[in-house]
Amino acid sequence: MPTLTPDEWQALALSLKVSFWATALSLPVGLLTALVLARGTFRGKSILNGLVHLPLILPPVVTGYLLLLTFGRRGPVGAFLDANFGIVFSFRWTGAALAAAVMAFPLMVRAIRLSIEAVDARLEDAAGTLGANRLWTFVIVTLPLILPGVIAGAILAFAKAMGEFGATITFVSSIPGETRTLPAAIYGYTQVPGGQPQAMRLTLIAVAVAMTALIASEFVARRVARRIRDG
Amino acid sequence: MRPPRHRQLLAALLALCVTAAPPASAQDVMIFAAASLKTALDGVAAAWSAETGSEAVVSYAASSALARQIEAGAPADVFISADLDWMDYLASWGLIDPDTRRTLLSNRIVLIAAGTDAPPVEIAPGFGLAALLGEGRLAMADVDAVPAGRYGKAALETLGVWGNVESRIAETENVRAALAFVALGEAPYGIVYATDANAEDNVTIVGTFPEDSHPPIRYPVALTADTANPAAADFLEFLGAAPARALFEAQGFTVLDPTDADAHAG
Repeated sequence: MPTLTPDEWQALALSLKVSFWATALSLPVGLLTALVLARGTFRGKSILNGLVHLPLILPPVVTGYLLLLTFGRRGPVGAFLDANFGIVFSFRWTGAALAAAVMAFPLMVRAIRLSIEAVDARLEDAAGTLGANRLWTFVIVTLPLILPGVIAGAILAFAKAMGEFGATITFVSSIPGETRTLPAAIYGYTQVPGGQPQAMRLTLIAVAVAMTALIASEFVARRVARRIRDG
Repeated sequence: MRPPRHRQLLAALLALCVTAAPPASAQDVMIFAAASLKTALDGVAAAWSAETGSEAVVSYAASSALARQIEAGAPADVFISADLDWMDYLASWGLIDPDTRRTLLSNRIVLIAAGTDAPPVEIAPGFGLAALLGEGRLAMADVDAVPAGRYGKAALETLGVWGNVESRIAETENVRAALAFVALGEAPYGIVYATDANAEDNVTIVGTFPEDSHPPIRYPVALTADTANPAAADFLEFLGAAPARALFEAQGFTVLDPTDADAHAG
């Protein structure tokens, strides 16, 4: 088996790091958003729903540009975070993670929301009549029931984050070891005369990672579903 | 059952999708041009259309991306590259018509700073670029692939400062994206073509790189080997005519004379 060059390792490791944090940190927010969208009845719900789905519909370059204007060094949110908390996104891997998280968010929320909507409300009602309060009911009844959806949503988001390119390169450019993720490295190689072999190697790696994530998601979701069914 | 009103609306929407964007007519000349030409070439294409009544459609991107697309069979009639390498690359595959090839323009690369009143920087061997950048980034087009980035890297290497700033560079997929990072104040400095800097009000040219610090910046043009559009040759001719010349020069390009150009075509 051919070994990876240091540059290839760097791009792959960076992509895994960016995608991991993008998924891990957006999961609680995604769960809450899905819950609000599935259960909540309030004015402006369709606006929230639209906002959540916006990155799915907008061209990634537009999302990246909006992130740059908002979270960049001179953007209102970016300047505030930098001045008060020392959090900087521009040209950092954290910015790549932010871009990946935003792009993957709709997929995560959709998967979780569907699983919440599929929960039999009578089970939750039963827990209520047995004396559990709403939070406890959510933890011991709802959460286990929606776990396959949560896992599927997280893995889907991870896979999407691994592949994010347009918003990332627009927001944080392509800096080796900092923001040059796997897709950016592939794009870079395709732009060099004679760079096709390297581009093809990285492409195969990207395909392998994506397939592994999807197969893992199927496997985990099925196991969890069986465990819930068998009680 | 769905009210018929909805069905009509749906049908109207579908019809709109099908008809809204008329496909580029076969008579339109399709030009693939380096991103750095955008401002000037938009004007040239409009002038040519006004004169001949034919339409010119220009697709702008990094020369590298365009060359790859032509290699993959994109329906371009004219290719204008920002360096000789990508034109040579297509020539080596027989994808351009060698008899039509000539070197049209030359350009300079400059150091730009964010804002409208940045102090000038003396660009000389060993100049303190790293100190200027501090914690900030130097925005450049991809230094291995995109011509503007390659010229910039060559110049910094010649001047002996590449090693100091190599880790501080934010690479973009084309030169206009590097310009945008500086214009937004995201990166304090950047290296772009003089013509790009002229097209953007929110940046200042703080220094021009010596012409002998990097390979000469030449824009070769040629018809593609596959073009079947008779208007394409006319457009190619028009690029060197007086009205086009004036537009290119207004943007900061130097228009090379055919004899002069041949001497550099290499």
